[in-house]
Amino acid sequence: MNRRDFLQAAAILVAGNSVLPPGIALSQEQSAFLAAQPSYIDQHELTFFSKGQRNAITTASEVIIPRTDTPGAIDAGTPRFIELLVSDWFTDEERAPFMAGLADLLERAGGDFAALAPAGQLALFEALEEEASDSSWYSLGNIFRVWDFEAPFICQLKELTVLGFFLSKVGATQVLRDNPMGRFDGDVPLGPDDASYNASPTLPTRKYFYQVTDRS
Amino acid sequence: MKETQFDAIVVGSGISGGWAAKELAEKGLKVLVLERGRDIRHARDYLGEHAGTWQMPYYGLPDRELVAREYPIQGDEPAFSHATLQYWNKDRENPYIRNEEKPFKWVRADMVGGRSVMWGRQTYRFAEQDFRANEQDGHGIPWPVRYDDIAPWYSYVEKFAGISGEARGFKQLPDSEFLPPMDYFAIEKTALARIAEKLPEVTPTIGRVAILTQNHMGRAACHYCGPCERGCSSGSYFSSQSSTLPAAQATGNMTLLSDMVVTQLEHDETGRRITAVSAVNTRTRERVRFSSKLVFLCASTVASTQLMLNSASDKHPAGLSNQSGALGHYLMDHAMIRHIGLMVDNVNSYYEGERPNGLYIPRFRNNFGQDEDADFVRGFGYQCMPLRMDWQSFFNRKGFGADYKDALIRPQPFWIWALGGFMECLPYRENKVFLDKQRTDRFGVPLVSTEFSWGENELAMARDTAVQAARIYRAAGALYWQLAGEDELSEGGQGIHEMGTARMGHDPKESVLNQYNQAHEVDNLFVTDGSFMTSAACVNPSLTYMAFTARAVDYAVKRLNEGALS
Repeated sequence: MNRRDFLQAAAILVAGNSVLPPGIALSQEQSAFLAAQPSYIDQHELTFFSKGQRNAITTASEVIIPRTDTPGAIDAGTPRFIELLVSDWFTDEERAPFMAGLADLLERAGGDFAALAPAGQLALFEALEEEASDSSWYSLGNIFRVWDFEAPFICQLKELTVLGFFLSKVGATQVLRDNPMGRFDGDVPLGPDDASYNASPTLPTRKYFYQVTDRS
Repeated sequence: MKETQFDAIVVGSGISGGWAAKELAEKGLKVLVLERGRDIRHARDYLGEHAGTWQMPYYGLPDRELVAREYPIQGDEPAFSHATLQYWNKDRENPYIRNEEKPFKWVRADMVGGRSVMWGRQTYRFAEQDFRANEQDGHGIPWPVRYDDIAPWYSYVEKFAGISGEARGFKQLPDSEFLPPMDYFAIEKTALARIAEKLPEVTPTIGRVAILTQNHMGRAACHYCGPCERGCSSGSYFSSQSSTLPAAQATGNMTLLSDMVVTQLEHDETGRRITAVSAVNTRTRERVRFSSKLVFLCASTVASTQLMLNSASDKHPAGLSNQSGALGHYLMDHAMIRHIGLMVDNVNSYYEGERPNGLYIPRFRNNFGQDEDADFVRGFGYQCMPLRMDWQSFFNRKGFGADYKDALIRPQPFWIWALGGFMECLPYRENKVFLDKQRTDRFGVPLVSTEFSWGENELAMARDTAVQAARIYRAAGALYWQLAGEDELSEGGQGIHEMGTARMGHDPKESVLNQYNQAHEVDNLFVTDGSFMTSAACVNPSLTYMAFTARAVDYAVKRLNEGALS
């Protein structure tokens, strides 16, 4: 039984029984709450980026995580996540260097990143990454933090893309997978093509080791 | 002002309050439970349960603006997330005073069931050496209770709560009444076999946890979804919401009022009997008085102490039952520190289900006597958790496109095995809570002020947790380990095991409560949250609060029926 089946079964049980068996007991309110809860990225209008900026970010996210035999960044709505985070989650001080980085990307792309040939897009990204290679963003273990606002634009863009992809519904359930509920088995074989479980039950690892707020 | 009569009033509905309510109601007393938080309904109001990351604002990244504005204290708790937001105390609304030189973190819930809805669920018995430690090394005062006094009460609460674990016969960690244990990860079995061979004194066992591994008392076995703190609609872990409050409700003897902050206790002219409990409704601001034959304070250590201090009178000039001057002092918590090791065994083994529990390494230092090489008294245990590393730890690498994506999809070929040291904290008089002389809260109650710092003993122990962790990692065959220094010790209160500010003892000149959690100087007042604790041991304390609460109710009702408390 996967997570979705579990929820559906629970909803049916709740609908069909006024007295619930011991076991699954998701409530009407809960089922309604979960079923009615659209993805975060579908709850908000996009109003921040210009059309050119949005095109660039959309293309860029797909360069970082393309569609292969599984969905890619655009399929997962990653560009929407990036725009929402930059506009709503970044503070003014945090946003400014990111927007400067985006402007620089557009300029180096001759004004339209999306219009570059794929090889040109990749070459430009690799050049940006080469320039950024001294950044501590690449240090092993530099993940137990909320965000690295000192990191170069290309690094922040990659991190936004990765989060917006693997935490999305598409990325979490069609590329990664739900950890099945119902029992715990501490030793099941891991096949060479098996994906990791998604972060829904655990929340980001960064939370486990790192305190997420600065009390000051 | 309204006035209503009950047999017993219980202040607080968390772990201790839930038990007091259940036991009192089952003995036929008319019980009023007063809870300062809002009402939530079991199961139906666990709105974050089973939510996907994509359903949370910012996909689960913290709402930094909200945290800074409303939850500056609570917001960095591991259990704090969008999925649990509704459970936490709003720090701006209900503040306390931190001394930034001696910071103490007061973690608070704000709903019916209190922190029992979000607790860590680890349940361990104290051992005889824990009850004897104070008199043996001279820190603190002697416990007025021995292991044999409380053992039957441990059994009593365990049979109801449902504790899963392995019976191992450890003298320093007595077995509970166990449901079947949870399974091990393969990587744990590997580590355990190596440790058993090389470090026989280190004896890891599966975490003892108030989570059901089979159906029990009308509650369902765990379905291993993972984040218990969001609430569990199948009632698979023990909480007041899932367990004790429904039992109390079923008797027909309990009245539970939410949104009620108790502000003061009043006594008769002798000072030996509480006659009224004053409360204020947090929504309507209506002031109410209730009276009863018995009063049980279960508001949590800091809040119960605040209430006793704020009930000072001519008969109790320094606060209720405080001729000793101990009330508010000897605040303790468990000092925590986390070491990290990397293991490359069992990389082709994965798992199914999220096990909401780790391993436990019971105390192996200073057991039954002082170790020659130990520059500290008492001891510590480790709570250990394996984590399979994935994209979250390795996205900050070079590359783009299909190769980058593929590398992030699969689990990384190693495990992190974290060893969390949990250390006993000694009772120090200067670690304390007290009332601020100027500032009051929105109901006119003086704010609680806190001062806390670890002593030399805890710092020495923290260093030893690193020395011993290195031995354990080496024995377990870890590839690499990173040890935390004493500067990475948790802040006081972060263990959420605050206790000791109304300690029990034989002598009213040095303690606030007697061995039955009864106030030395107020006959019908019982305090059964963590404030009664005379020492902390190194194990999670909630099970001990449960056992002492049940025992205190048994005693109180017997005395009441004998006519001794009226």
